[in-house]
Amino acid sequence: MNKIFLFVPLILVMLISIFCLVFLLQGKDPSKPPSALLYKNLPDFDIINLFDDADVISNKDLKGRIMLINFFASWCSPCKVEHPLFFEIKKKYPNILLIGIDYKDKQEEAINYLNTMGNPYDYVGMDNKGLIGLELGVFGLPETFIVNSKGIITYKHLGPLTKKIITNEFAPFIQ
Amino acid sequence: MISLIGFSGLILSFIFNVIVIVSYYYKINQRFNHIFYLALYCSLFFMCLSFFALMFAYISSDFSNFNVFQNSHSSKPLLYKITGTWGNHEGSMLLWLLIMSLYNVFFSFNITLEDHVRKLTIVFQSFLYLCFSLFVILTSNPFLVNSIDSNEGLGLNPILQDPALAIHPPVLYIGYVGFSLILSLALAGLILNQLDNLWIQVIKRWAMFCWLMLTGGIALGSYWAYYELGWGGWWFWDPVENVSLMPWITGLALVHSLMITKQEQLLKRWVVFLSILCFSLSILGTFLVRSGILTSVHSFAADASRGIFILILFLTITGFSFIIFILKSPHSNKQINLLFINKTSALIINNIVMLIACITILLGTIYPIIIEVLTNKRMSVGAPYYNSTVLPILLPGFLIMSIAPMLSWQSNKLDKIKNYIYILIVISILTLLITYLTKFNIWGFTGTILGLWIIAASLLSILHNCLKYKFKKFFIYNNALIAHMGVGIMIIGITFSSIFQTKNNFTIQTGEIVNSGQYSLQLKNLKIEEKNNFQELLGIFLLHKKNEFLTTIKSSKRYYYVSKVITTEAGIYHDWFQDFYLVLGNEKNNKWSITIYHNPLVSFIWIGVMIMIFSGMVGIFKR
Repeated sequence: MNKIFLFVPLILVMLISIFCLVFLLQGKDPSKPPSALLYKNLPDFDIINLFDDADVISNKDLKGRIMLINFFASWCSPCKVEHPLFFEIKKKYPNILLIGIDYKDKQEEAINYLNTMGNPYDYVGMDNKGLIGLELGVFGLPETFIVNSKGIITYKHLGPLTKKIITNEFAPFIQ
Repeated sequence: MISLIGFSGLILSFIFNVIVIVSYYYKINQRFNHIFYLALYCSLFFMCLSFFALMFAYISSDFSNFNVFQNSHSSKPLLYKITGTWGNHEGSMLLWLLIMSLYNVFFSFNITLEDHVRKLTIVFQSFLYLCFSLFVILTSNPFLVNSIDSNEGLGLNPILQDPALAIHPPVLYIGYVGFSLILSLALAGLILNQLDNLWIQVIKRWAMFCWLMLTGGIALGSYWAYYELGWGGWWFWDPVENVSLMPWITGLALVHSLMITKQEQLLKRWVVFLSILCFSLSILGTFLVRSGILTSVHSFAADASRGIFILILFLTITGFSFIIFILKSPHSNKQINLLFINKTSALIINNIVMLIACITILLGTIYPIIIEVLTNKRMSVGAPYYNSTVLPILLPGFLIMSIAPMLSWQSNKLDKIKNYIYILIVISILTLLITYLTKFNIWGFTGTILGLWIIAASLLSILHNCLKYKFKKFFIYNNALIAHMGVGIMIIGITFSSIFQTKNNFTIQTGEIVNSGQYSLQLKNLKIEEKNNFQELLGIFLLHKKNEFLTTIKSSKRYYYVSKVITTEAGIYHDWFQDFYLVLGNEKNNKWSITIYHNPLVSFIWIGVMIMIFSGMVGIFKR
């Protein structure tokens, strides 16, 4: 009887470890917080073109194509890491609309950033007050959303993208 | 360059620890004995080198180091550059290793234990060190080179730029990591079957020291939360607070059990179990915090590979220890009879209460993980759960504490029970009357009365001891009682500050006066100050009590340029009996919203903790 009690802590340790391991392996890390907007319609907002202040479009005008919305900024270093990947996405999936939104940034610095790093986006919007980010519930940079042709948000990723994520997770949403 | 030195130090220290373990297994002649200790000291030396290299990189704002680049900024004050060394995941793990190594070397100076027990303990400690340094080298290297050429860093989390928080992690870690030595001692004692009196005497000192440091660390952390977060409270059942509380509770149980083991020669199995449990909970806590599984005020950059690595460490170390525990567990021939009414039974019951409280906290902390794995829903467990489960569990423990002084150690007899009973009854009636005439609250009443009982019973017991021994060896006889008085004072502080706290919101403009309780508060002026790395909006208030000028209170909001974060600095007027706590809010039409908290008896909490720490210190050094 007494001996059985000795096994209790070991069993508890095993159980805790198994649960935590399953949790980790399911990839449920906080970089994917549940988004209230996932599987919902993309909220309406107007974006000012980064290169031309007079050019304002609404995201309603862009419906009908699969959109990839990427929030970036010149001050964000992980953004620099993922930046080249957008050229690859553009090459691999030419039919999707790549939208970059410059988040809480200075206009001239963002232009400078895109001039040196290259501009993979079809359209670059400005969100220097973070209002669009607020609409979409942006946690931190970089953050990427995929919106299907019906205007519904189907996928969201927080943190820099990697090749692995693009091939494993993006594919079903952008084909 | 400096990163290279640091990394080499880390690797060399790893290698020397391997040498320690290897030379233990080739202990044929005296020469290897020298190598054993020499390698141990070398490993500490290189660990220090590595740690100070990182610190130097922080001080000199060497942004070619990726860790410095991510967590520091050249405009930061020197103090926070230094403390920035451990203000992030990688650096804090390096501090963890340094502390482990320090413990190992300091322990090697111990002369009480027999040589082979001491050596095996050092070997186990080196083994634990190897596990964690592998973790640092493979997943959390603080010496990575920055791939971006930058002459400015990204800054430190501004709420961490605070003196209390700067020393909070090292103090906490000295306790938290120190339990690794307790585990090593327990394993060495188990394997060599040498759980004798000497072993108990040694482990008792070290356990006491670790537990004290953990107490100090937790207290510093909650003091910081009290004035920096601006939420009016000092404990929030945050997951990170919980994971430091769990080893604290088991450590407390361990320190107490060791006391009876010395008296009774019983319970060795229980002591070993607690020793293993303390460090197991430390590792589990580290895992929960560092893997990013739980989100809290202490956010570290999350990384799944780190999580899996620590989980494997947890499973290996804890699993190994518990298997040894099953195989080599000491047998006690004497049965403990809990029906005896004496100090031993009281302590054992209290131990059980503490363990139940610990399990309850553990359950609350990992419950969200279990639920998410099973049902795929995200949920969080907060203060209401802990308040309604942990506190009632602790009540019988406090009750036993208040009657314990009248029990005797060995016999079943009650000692001078009449005096105690009279005093307890008088106190109860007085408290009941006072609370009934003012604000009656059942929790407030229970907490107050338990706190008062503990203080009164301890005082009376001290008095008895003084009469009996005429102040000879005052601390030897009364040390534990003094600690218990500290607990009583703390319980009263906790009860009052959480139950009788009042909170009021006002809007105020310059020159205006608002009244709150006995106090009246006038906003003298508001100004914006430019500091080196932040901009501060400072509200200067004049505080009067019954038309008598007390003090000026400064409450402010800070905007940190680099990380673009706003923090609140609460303005606090400390009084012995009540804290006046002021938080500056937002502006609307030239009027500022302010929140005023009256926190009664908060100072009692800190006084209680200080008494406990003082008495613990005496406990370590007394013969």
